[in-house]
Amino acid sequence: MHQDIIYLLPIFFSLFGAVLCVLPVKYVDRVVSVIASALSLAVAIYLLFQPVYIDHYLYIDGLSKLLILTIALVYLSTVLYSLTYLKHIENLLFQHRLYYILLNIFVATMFFSVSMDNLGLIWVGIEATTVSSALLIATENNQVTIESAWRYVIIVSTGLVISLIAVTFIYGSAGTLSLHALLLHHPDNRVFLIGIMLGIVGFGTKAGIFPMHTWLPDVHGKAPAPVSAIFSAVLLPVALYAIARLIQVFPSETIKLFAFVLGILTVAVAALMMTVQTNYKRMFAYSSMENMGMILIGISLGGYGLLGAVIIIISHGLAKSSVFFLTGDVLSISHTTDMRKVNGLIQRLPRAASALFVAAMAVTGAPPFAIFVGELFIFAALIAQYGWLLALVVILFLAIAFISVNFKTGKMIFTGSENLKRERSRTETWVAIVNLALSFLIILLIPYFETLLKNLL
Amino acid sequence: MNQTFEILGFLLIVLTLVMQWEINVQRIIALFSASSFVIALFLVLLGLSRPNEEYMLFILAGLTIVVRGITIPLVMNRALNRLNDKPWRVREAKPLLGVGGSILLSLVLIAIGYFIYQNSLYSVLKVKSGSVPFALFLQASLLIITHRHAYIQMIGFLVMENAVVMLSGWVFGGLPFIVEAGVILDLLGLVVVSSLIIRVREHSILKVGDTVESELRG
Repeated sequence: MHQDIIYLLPIFFSLFGAVLCVLPVKYVDRVVSVIASALSLAVAIYLLFQPVYIDHYLYIDGLSKLLILTIALVYLSTVLYSLTYLKHIENLLFQHRLYYILLNIFVATMFFSVSMDNLGLIWVGIEATTVSSALLIATENNQVTIESAWRYVIIVSTGLVISLIAVTFIYGSAGTLSLHALLLHHPDNRVFLIGIMLGIVGFGTKAGIFPMHTWLPDVHGKAPAPVSAIFSAVLLPVALYAIARLIQVFPSETIKLFAFVLGILTVAVAALMMTVQTNYKRMFAYSSMENMGMILIGISLGGYGLLGAVIIIISHGLAKSSVFFLTGDVLSISHTTDMRKVNGLIQRLPRAASALFVAAMAVTGAPPFAIFVGELFIFAALIAQYGWLLALVVILFLAIAFISVNFKTGKMIFTGSENLKRERSRTETWVAIVNLALSFLIILLIPYFETLLKNLL
Repeated sequence: MNQTFEILGFLLIVLTLVMQWEINVQRIIALFSASSFVIALFLVLLGLSRPNEEYMLFILAGLTIVVRGITIPLVMNRALNRLNDKPWRVREAKPLLGVGGSILLSLVLIAIGYFIYQNSLYSVLKVKSGSVPFALFLQASLLIITHRHAYIQMIGFLVMENAVVMLSGWVFGGLPFIVEAGVILDLLGLVVVSSLIIRVREHSILKVGDTVESELRG
């Protein structure tokens, strides 16, 4: 077998899964999706122990492998969660079959984006994630979800046109779009610099980076729980992956400062917006934006800042998917996303409520979760490069985010009258709990991540 | 050849300007189709001026005609027909800019495009009139911002993509074929998915309007 086939297997399994879902056999879509996602995860784990692979089309180093692993983990958990969750959605826009077809294609495009050597093909992959995921947002057929899906298409696609211009600039000045060729040699002129900067803004749109973030709370706030989970956990980091590659190609001080400023602004805006949210899904969407801002700061700082960013990508992916799965449980009993109308969750859904409380702590960077460790790495790099004052500003915004999310989540869980009826616990809650546990266990793997990323640190 | 490109660029700007004035959606789709044919002609001429890449550029021109010039307008018109009993009457209800305002703003945008290009890129690229694709890009953004009808917003996005094709071909000599082909396929997928979303959206959202706005605020 050719060695490169192994690296293509995650794309193949998810795409083949999508094709098999078309078969008109009862439950085939669900069974095939579970098998495809489990096989993708098995291959993703296997790839961790394989050497770096670079050819004309593929560029799979430690960073790509860790992204593939994160996508595969969230893919499997999203499929498992969807098996029972979709039954609770009353007004589906399309059949279950189409949901699984789109989900599998969506994941395949993400695997594709983090495996390509060519910046143009990375762009094609990321734009294809928009095509495959737009309808998933509108799974629950109502006016608000449809409008969210439309805003997503138009804002994200427009943003991605900016990154297509960036690709054009890069190719025009360097004569190649190959990552490994650009890493060996790249021009040092104004066109190339502008190209990289436009790329950061364009791909930043997809990652929910300020000022092109406006689609993010709409989509995460209104999409069904498993879709919000996979968007927040892996789609945003896949766009940040493209930014990380751009900075890796041209790590000039101007570029790093530009990305750093955007990262800080993203954290600040997200933290402030969280304080005024009354919709719990939108609040967690802004929490994702805040984490993406921290990841961008880490990427811009490089070295151990980058290691911190990768730790946050993986642990946030697991913990935030857990949060959105659990909000699905809350929504299915409360029938509202208005947190002022939700209370006493600890009595009504004790297992899910406890998990939600812990997961909210995890995504806001409470110790001992891995996001906290990732943030420590980023702050160490931040203090070394920019001093204490800027670090304190970022800490202030993180503190605002931490208090907002945990206070509001705590209020939904612990306040309310004592005589609330206990609801039947749901099987799918276990998927969220497993992801939450994994997001904690990630801490044990940090030394291995460092080894995988050593060519970038 | 540069002079011919300038004429084609000017033609594209005029077509986009007419899209800006026009309120009938079917006519705007037809104008987009026409602008895609202009882009295809541009690619053919580019191929003739670059003998080493001529076949790739001719294939790309063919793909542009088939996908952007014919298929995308066809998909949009079909969706429009399914949605309305009298599709020829579908129009932008409240255009934000009148004819005078759009001429003025378009001229300002052309000046901005020229200013940005002349001051940041001309000294490096040395391509005369390279500001045309930038002006086209800004005009397409204006088309999206000033219209509420989903189809017109979609066309604004497609005109943006046309501006990028022109930019990459004229100023930078084009992107690799595999990337261009990927972009065109993505575009086709996006239009199909958007048409589905627009169909459901027009059925439901536009009837409730403000309710949706209030839920997607903050």
